[in-house]
Amino acid sequence: MSHDIESKLRTALRPVTPSDEFTQRLVAQITAQGAASAAARRRPLAGARRYGWWVSAGLAASLVIAIGVQRHIQEDRDRENGAEARREVVEALRMTSQKLDLAYEAVKSQSPEAGAEQPRA
Amino acid sequence: MTIGWTTAHVPTLNEAPQIFLEEQLARARSGEPAALKSLIQAHRRLVYSLALRMLGTRDLAEDLTQDVFMQLHAKLKTIESPGHLTFWLRKVTTHRAIDQLRRRTRVPMTSLQDEHEGSAVEDGGDPLWQRHLRLLLLDLAAPARAVVLLRFQEDLDPGDIARTLGMSVNTVKSHLKRSLETLRQRTIRP
Repeated sequence: MSHDIESKLRTALRPVTPSDEFTQRLVAQITAQGAASAAARRRPLAGARRYGWWVSAGLAASLVIAIGVQRHIQEDRDRENGAEARREVVEALRMTSQKLDLAYEAVKSQSPEAGAEQPRA
Repeated sequence: MTIGWTTAHVPTLNEAPQIFLEEQLARARSGEPAALKSLIQAHRRLVYSLALRMLGTRDLAEDLTQDVFMQLHAKLKTIESPGHLTFWLRKVTTHRAIDQLRRRTRVPMTSLQDEHEGSAVEDGGDPLWQRHLRLLLLDLAAPARAVVLLRFQEDLDPGDIARTLGMSVNTVKSHLKRSLETLRQRTIRP
């Protein structure tokens, strides 16, 4: 009985051929796909699309590096500006100090005469 | 470059000598459209028959056949020999059909149009009985159906079926035994 069902299955499951119309359509589609992929391979943009992930990652890394470099340059510039401001303040203090010294010397040199005349008057 | 459709006879898988297939495969791998067309014509019967018996309708079978050959075209460089090509086509067709059936909640009934296959009368068999048997096959679970088809349609032994479906040989034998028993019980006429 088992052999009977097996032979019946073999007969019932004989391979079938798809219609010529379908085969024609199938071949045309696959050929078109082949032509499209060959054209895509010829375009340089296709390579960029294939490696799109790497290109994006590269761009992102470049952006991060550019931001880092920019911040470093900005910090250097701020540090230089700070040093320059400090130099200017020190210079201003030094000049002020000189002026005060001169004023003091002037006052000091005039003080005894003024002090001597005042009691007499 | 486009290929014109000709009515020239291209040998099917059973007719084509191994050397012819090897040559066509090598030429198709190097991008020759005419060789790819020959390979499709030689193997279309195998892929379409498996797809039709797995999925049950001509439309679904044609869609699956198209998908499989599209995938083959993309993977052609990895195909090493005609034997590998046949193995690959059986494997991809059955796996994709099983995936489709698992996603579907209901197996559609095969239409009369889809069952117009023409082999029964030639063999002197009962066309209605054979149609009934094919419909019963659609009631089997997808993996069991694939096992039965590879055994009785493709005439593979359990070892080859196991390799194609990624199962153990014991699982294949178990599917075969249970499926034959189910079909036998359902085909017993009162």
